Amino acid sequence: MAAQLERISEYRYQIPKSGAMRVPGLVFASKRMVRDIRADKATDQVANVAHLPGILRASIAMPDIHWGYGFPIGGVAAFDADEGVLSPGGVGYDINCGVRLLRSDMSRPDVVGDLEEVSLAMHRAIPSGVGSKSHRRLSKRELERVLVQGAAWAVREGYGETADLAVIEEGGCMPNARPETVSERAKERGMPQLGSLGSGNHFCELGYVAEIYDERAAEAFGLRADQITIMIHSGSRGLGYQVCDESLRVMLRASAKYNIQLPDRQLCAAPLTSPEAADYFGAMGCAINFAFANRQMMTHFVREAMTEQFGDDARLELVYDVCHNIAKWERHTVDGELRRVCVHRKGATRAFGPGHPDVPEVYRDVGQPVMVPGDMGRYSYVLAGTRRAMDETFGSSCHGAGRRLSRRKASELARGRPIFQELRQQGIFVRSDSKRTVAEEIPEAYKDVADVIEVMHESGIARKVAKLVPLAVIKG
Amino acid sequence: MSGFRQIDHTADLALQLWAPSEAELLRVGARAIVSTLTGGAEVRADATRSVSVDALDGEDRLVQWLNEIIYAAVTTGFVTASADIELGATSLTATLHGEADASAKIETELKSVTYHELKLEHTGDGWCAQIVIDV
Repeated sequence: MAAQLERISEYRYQIPKSGAMRVPGLVFASKRMVRDIRADKATDQVANVAHLPGILRASIAMPDIHWGYGFPIGGVAAFDADEGVLSPGGVGYDINCGVRLLRSDMSRPDVVGDLEEVSLAMHRAIPSGVGSKSHRRLSKRELERVLVQGAAWAVREGYGETADLAVIEEGGCMPNARPETVSERAKERGMPQLGSLGSGNHFCELGYVAEIYDERAAEAFGLRADQITIMIHSGSRGLGYQVCDESLRVMLRASAKYNIQLPDRQLCAAPLTSPEAADYFGAMGCAINFAFANRQMMTHFVREAMTEQFGDDARLELVYDVCHNIAKWERHTVDGELRRVCVHRKGATRAFGPGHPDVPEVYRDVGQPVMVPGDMGRYSYVLAGTRRAMDETFGSSCHGAGRRLSRRKASELARGRPIFQELRQQGIFVRSDSKRTVAEEIPEAYKDVADVIEVMHESGIARKVAKLVPLAVIKG
Repeated sequence: MSGFRQIDHTADLALQLWAPSEAELLRVGARAIVSTLTGGAEVRADATRSVSVDALDGEDRLVQWLNEIIYAAVTTGFVTASADIELGATSLTATLHGEADASAKIETELKSVTYHELKLEHTGDGWCAQIVIDV
């Protein structure tokens, strides 16, 4: 069954309701991207999500959409509090994989002669790579504090400043996290990994602001041309993966128990009002907090590395930290009524518009900052959320470039090529313990994020604010 | 005949497994996971570890079993070389033979075996399966 895509406007495509779909699908894409999207069969997944009970308005897909486990990556789905469901597949294995952006007082000329050293310093400072481990040995009790307090725990332990918390989604601490709902296994898997980058598409990247598109928003975000920035992209490490895997089994049983028809096993779910959903919320909250603490610790490590290298001029301020894989309660207007709904974002970013009370006061006039990483060879973007996003996508936007090539194909393409040298020739210093990871992460493996951003900007969902270009990249 | 191979997939990593019996298929799956984790490194069999799985059905059992292999490797560094498996209706108990403290041999991070496009089939010739792993 190939889901039909019908163009409704320049950047909006609909998958009409058919069969057991409860709502249509809504895909944000350009004409050019639709070819790739169709070939990828991600539209079938968008249509599958529309089968779930209590889904509101539409099964939404961002332009960086690609095939995922059950829910497509780049998917957004919101559910009614009474009729709807909670689905771990709508969050993903890497719960609260997300990205944060730091800005500095330095400019490109201040660092460009020292990139070799700076990249080495960053690589040394941040535990990265397969099985990357924490500097800390945590007791079980300490870990439970991390799971409940998130970034706030990290700040109290000396990793960063209280001021950081104001510019993290959810204040860096998801409420109602319940460590008793997280298995011993998940805790065992996560404990040694707190404060480490991990592998795959995680990274820490030093770059500079190459272009400003919206002066007012850039000023509010503290961004200016040529400014040195740092991005950290990472998630909840083994704790999150374990929580997701274990919750799928619970939800498979729950789907049978509550008679939820599943077009795909990985969409298994439980009613939002059920104890199974309450337990998953409790466990997911812990994983979310683990990831917030994780990114907060790595921020501290990179701050130290930079001040060691450049002195106090290298002070890094946190611009914002966003989640890509999450499900949470939010208030949105549906059919003219403000309602409490459960929004799932999998490979999608919250993008609340100007005036929203959850946007930090310092940004409230312009909208929430949204960071959209591209790939390590080209560029990334900073956007601002809009009121249009609130109306159409439950306040959501894209999260990244989206993969174009499988890891296998990317490795094949990279074989025999001096990837590190190729990037060095472009002025980008890449450090990684794994040549294999870097091969799988070559820029060609990704879609052009500029295309993804164009769709968000032109459709009015998120406004372009700035473009960032990489100078030094640490890959796991 | 039993064996495994990587197949191309838009998702992260997909493997095809085949074997004459279901128990052998599970053993092949474990070897495939370990081969992926270690890049095909030699693994000694001088330590043991017990595993038991209680599953919803045969497919779920396959996923849980393979995730046990991953879990043992990433948490304790126990890398499985072979396994003695006893199958129940939807459960299994097994003794893993492998190398303890072999974290240094792990070069790829695997998040989890998923239920995505999961296939487990009993054909005329034996058993075959397809699994997709989130990397």
